[in-house]
Amino acid sequence: MITITINGKEIKLEKPVTVLEAARANGIKIPALCAHEQLEKYGGCRLCLVEVEKMPRLQTSCTLTVADGMVIKTESENITKARRGVLEFLLINHPLDCPVCDKAGECELQDLVSKYGASAGRFKEEKRKTPESHEDRILARNMERCILCTRCVRMCKDVQGASALTIVERGGKSRMEPFSRESFNCEYCGNCHTVCPVGAILARPNIHNYRPWQIDREVETVCPYCGVGCSFILQVRDESIKRTIPKLGLGLNNGLLCSRGRWGYDFANNPERLKYPLIRKNGKLEQSSWDEALGLIVNKLQTIKNTQGGKAIAGIASPRCTNEDNYVFQKFLRTACQTNNIDSVSRLGFASAQRYFEDILGQGITANMIAGLKNSDVIIVLGGDPTAVNPILGLSVRAAARNGAKIVVIGNAKGLERFKTLKVTPPVFKEADVLEAVLSEIAKVKGPRGEKPAIDKRINELAGKYRTPEISGFNELKELLLSGKSVSIVLGTDIVQRTNGHKALFAVAGITYLLEARLYLLSERANEQGLIDMGCLPDALPGGRPLNINDFRKRFETSWGSSIPSDNGLTLMEIVDASRDKKIKALYVMGENPAFNIPNNPYVKEALSALEFLVVQDIFLTETAEIAHVVLPALSWSEKDGTYTNLERRIQRLRKAVNAPSGMEDWKIISEVSNRMGCKMQYRGTEEIIDEIADISPLYKGLTYDEITKGNCLWPYKGEPLRGVISEIPAAPEKSDDYKGDFYLVPEKLLFHSGTLSRRSSSLNRICPEPSLKIGEGHAQRLGLKDGDNVKIHASDGNLSIKISTDRYIKDNLVFISNNFEGRGVFSLLRYSLDPVTKAPGLEGCEIKIEKA
Amino acid sequence: MENFLLKNIENPDSADIEEYLKIGGYKNIAKAFELEPKAIIEEVKKAGLRGRGGAGFPTAMKWSFAAADPKFPKYLLCNADEGEPGTFKDRPILEKNPHLLIEGMVISGYALGAEYGYIYLRGEYPHAKDVLNKAISQAYEKNYLGDNILGKSIKFHLAVHQGAGAYICGEETALIESLEGKRGQPRTRPPFPVNVGAWAMPTVVNNVETLCNIPYIISIGSEAYSQIGSKDCPGPKLYCVSGCVEKPGVYELPMGTSLKDIIFNHAGGIKGGKKLKAVIPGGISTPVLPESMIDCPMDFSSMPKHGSMLGSGAVIVMDESVCMVKVTYRALKFFEHESCGKCTPCREGTEWLRKSLGRIERGEGREGDIELLQEISENIMGKTFCPLGDGAAGVVLGMLKHFKGEFEEKIKAKGSRV
Amino acid sequence: MLSETVLKEIEEIKAKYPSARSALLPALYVAQREFGWQSEKAMQAVAQALNLPEAEVRGTATFYSMYKHKPMGRHLIQLCTNVSCMILGAERLVDFLKNRYGLTQNGTTADGRFSLVIMECIGGCDMAPAMLLNTDFYGDLTEEKIGEILGGYK
Repeated sequence: MITITINGKEIKLEKPVTVLEAARANGIKIPALCAHEQLEKYGGCRLCLVEVEKMPRLQTSCTLTVADGMVIKTESENITKARRGVLEFLLINHPLDCPVCDKAGECELQDLVSKYGASAGRFKEEKRKTPESHEDRILARNMERCILCTRCVRMCKDVQGASALTIVERGGKSRMEPFSRESFNCEYCGNCHTVCPVGAILARPNIHNYRPWQIDREVETVCPYCGVGCSFILQVRDESIKRTIPKLGLGLNNGLLCSRGRWGYDFANNPERLKYPLIRKNGKLEQSSWDEALGLIVNKLQTIKNTQGGKAIAGIASPRCTNEDNYVFQKFLRTACQTNNIDSVSRLGFASAQRYFEDILGQGITANMIAGLKNSDVIIVLGGDPTAVNPILGLSVRAAARNGAKIVVIGNAKGLERFKTLKVTPPVFKEADVLEAVLSEIAKVKGPRGEKPAIDKRINELAGKYRTPEISGFNELKELLLSGKSVSIVLGTDIVQRTNGHKALFAVAGITYLLEARLYLLSERANEQGLIDMGCLPDALPGGRPLNINDFRKRFETSWGSSIPSDNGLTLMEIVDASRDKKIKALYVMGENPAFNIPNNPYVKEALSALEFLVVQDIFLTETAEIAHVVLPALSWSEKDGTYTNLERRIQRLRKAVNAPSGMEDWKIISEVSNRMGCKMQYRGTEEIIDEIADISPLYKGLTYDEITKGNCLWPYKGEPLRGVISEIPAAPEKSDDYKGDFYLVPEKLLFHSGTLSRRSSSLNRICPEPSLKIGEGHAQRLGLKDGDNVKIHASDGNLSIKISTDRYIKDNLVFISNNFEGRGVFSLLRYSLDPVTKAPGLEGCEIKIEKA
Repeated sequence: MENFLLKNIENPDSADIEEYLKIGGYKNIAKAFELEPKAIIEEVKKAGLRGRGGAGFPTAMKWSFAAADPKFPKYLLCNADEGEPGTFKDRPILEKNPHLLIEGMVISGYALGAEYGYIYLRGEYPHAKDVLNKAISQAYEKNYLGDNILGKSIKFHLAVHQGAGAYICGEETALIESLEGKRGQPRTRPPFPVNVGAWAMPTVVNNVETLCNIPYIISIGSEAYSQIGSKDCPGPKLYCVSGCVEKPGVYELPMGTSLKDIIFNHAGGIKGGKKLKAVIPGGISTPVLPESMIDCPMDFSSMPKHGSMLGSGAVIVMDESVCMVKVTYRALKFFEHESCGKCTPCREGTEWLRKSLGRIERGEGREGDIELLQEISENIMGKTFCPLGDGAAGVVLGMLKHFKGEFEEKIKAKGSRV
Repeated sequence: MLSETVLKEIEEIKAKYPSARSALLPALYVAQREFGWQSEKAMQAVAQALNLPEAEVRGTATFYSMYKHKPMGRHLIQLCTNVSCMILGAERLVDFLKNRYGLTQNGTTADGRFSLVIMECIGGCDMAPAMLLNTDFYGDLTEEKIGEILGGYK
């Protein structure tokens, strides 16, 4: 225990903190412009000077660590004089343009000057001049206002890990600068902007369009983009979102955001939003009334159900919709429509992988706290770049590296290039072989563990037939994994999308099991976990209860007052196939765009066009909505209440911030249809839905919004996880796959986009306006190509003209295109065949040729 | 007193290892290796050696902190970033007596448990770089550097790291940052380099001259050494005299030789028989002394009593023709140029001072300017991150203290006096 | 891009330090030798060779005054004008270089032969006024003497 005295008040401290921290924790204010809770101490601004007994000079409280018996004064005549002196120095080159500065009203310098008094204007010399820069796509830089506190630089380097900012030159010539307009490594997170105390870094979307004091309301909610589920404050004015503000201490992102979370909100303000229901008449979608549209849906679904049975109806749920929406959706399909044909695009990766892992390792195996990553000593990253897919989780991997953890990347993860200890590049699409070999090597040292006999048995079988792969770094990889005392595995879904993806998944499961590792599954969409938990699966009810076990089903039937079909339904790809084969007649799509988001777009479009009846409820007229028979306008995430469950299985509250001029909550539309079909759903609000979920789902037992708001809703909640694992590991015959292409096209997960929503965000489009083909620098050189050249690519299923961007970190002959741009997404070129075990689509048709356009 | 630090430098081949060996060079390594490292530190402590870079910190104390830290490897850095204007005392050693420095570093490394050393050499000394590199490879060849020095299992590796033009890198934590490839800005202390220094390891940074005193202490013993010069900071001292004197140059004299003696006896007095006006005694960061105050012993403890500091022992002599406003302006131009920009008072204050002084110098001075200069300086003094800002403020305050009249005159006359 | 030989040289420099980052200052000297100045390309090449963020390379390269951020003449005159040199007439030399060669601070003669950098102290105070011409040191300069010396650099 350390005892110090500040301004005559005795303060006891558990551990040695800085004087500034000690003072602030005890409500004593000390001005400081360079110090920031999230950043390393700096001691540059010199405002936090205090007097310490027995020390001759004034001390900077932000750098001085308390010592027992220290006697500190934070205010005195001498201190005030010193602080005024420092403020005067800061102001001599600072423009006095507060009236036109967008920071006014929330500027830390302005506040301090009003506290300590403006200086007398004794500076008669010329001020330094630097014109405001709008060269950046999203941020404006005003170096005349900059006070060189370097918070932005430290944030970018030490927390974000992008190192895109630096101070150039020195002394009075110092200024913060991006390396250059085109070649810096900016990740557009805007975290520099968050910590800037003055108006030196401004968000271009907010320049001159309001003042901080003109905000109508601030609402705390969760980000709509990825499965991390960052918290932020939405600032609203005139029923339009003005800003997203992260806050220290709020949510697991604790003051940080990524580019999508920071800038992507403006899709909700997009004027192209659907405003009224549409009905296809004479081949064209035309405006209709809600009553007419709902009447048509009810009529069609009733008819098909009565004539063909519920099996002719299917539904696609949405990982962008809330738990409440998804719960109501599957209940509607199972009861009113009498079908279990329910799935989502989560089948493409997250849902398939999680189901596989849970089957063999137990429910909740992927429920690990993101914060725990920082405590790992070895982290294996494979199947995707966490800094792009789940950026805030990616920051934890970087933080772990800074703490000394060894980061092993298998495949490509550009965002970790400067943080990795080892990168292993498996032969194209042969990750499974490498992983099986690693598993076998680990088993030699560690196994069998004896806890799960089925896994031990399969590992043993594998050990008999593996070969050490001829790739560099294999032994190092093995040694690193074995050296770990706290191993984490971060798995992206790229390797799930292989025709034999389950093989790699088993190897990952085996490594997880033998090393007792923590497994993190990257999740591209906000509520993938939630929709699984809500039972939007063809074979499971809410809480992950298998549908085909009578006891479970009975419970739900009793509660819902309706029978539920007992056979498992079709998975996503099977629904598409069945649509084409006219076995499914009616498809109800809630908040999803399968015609674009599923590989082989032309085929999917053709299949969906064959449907007798397609309903889409969404907020935009998507590719799928364009071919629908009825389109209903739903509400955006910012316009409704509810909950999301993130990838670590944390349940979080979404709060309505904006009153939408039109549209209806998804759950409300579904309830209305259900009611009209005779299955009563009379929820007056989402709270009643969560009450029902808490009542019926064994997993979410006893949940309330109050509990969720308190942040207590982490796995395994108060519920009952499903116990037990399967006794036989599912297997499939080996597929021989020999690849002979020049290049292999695979989907890229972009940091700046995530598909349907992001492409309606003008800010994100400003940051990343068009697709590109990412290719290794060496390969490009060999083809005589340089960054920015146009190429034509030939795939077996089509051609595409596209610009290339070269990447010096890509060494293998994989090339990447994202699936974010209308008509030019990678899924328009690739086919798939189902992985027999996970039913995820294994991508095919990846072998391509590239020629200079 | 016979020269030790500058011994043999008149010999044009003095930098060659053979010449150094001829005058008994490298013998002190063998002698030192017979002692326990702790005993060497004790010897240095008894000798009373204080760092010659300017701060005068007891060398043995610095060493013992680093030696006591359990972390390995430890590093010994030689501060050869002699950037203080007026200072050129280390240059003859670096260019003409490099083996003395290497010998000193090997012994020092052994004493504090450092197996790796770097000489941080200022970029402005390209010739010294070549000399040092050659000397280092000769020392490796002769086994005075390497894994098994003199056949014992004692290891010391040495390399030259060239700076690139930044005065601030003479500050030891900025020097470390620069060695690590970063912008040379000072670090927060604590932790001190002796515990968390280069690459976060225990690190000792010693000035060239300090390290060259080590073989001397080993050679003549702490007892004899402590008899040289001032009692509380004994030893030989290199004084470098420049400006308006007949014989500018580096003089190796006992610590505490009086400033007057240095100027008038050793450096030959004022050039052209002119009248002495003022002296900057220890490099430009030390406050100026008027002619009337130069009868003072040049050592660490005496100079503050006489209103200045020993600094680097760089004596800049100014005769009656020199305009003090102009000198002040030029000094501030230097500080502004060299301010690293990290802390507010130094970054903004030096610029403000320089701009104001420039105005006065151009004959555009205004009433109240002297008070303004005084207040800006006071607002810098004691509030900066590192001593650079204090140095800048000290120059102005010192000049105003002794030569206020000249400033007033210039403001009134609206023009330069000289 | 840096040639294989130069990359090898940088690798050798790296080996002298416990961290690759420490090789940055020497690597920037190498790049300056190869490219003539710290062009964006030069700094990018260094960043790649040391696997460092480009921004940090630029931050470091602009901190130190001896890294040049624009092309320089064939011969670099680094003339000291700090106090010791100033009081012995360095300013006259500055005027001389301006009048005779049209050289000003950081400027280059029209024929690309000389560039001038006015320096802080170069440690030649005993021979003030002093200068470095490329890596050669000259002291006790007068207008006449400096003219003669420059004549020897073509």
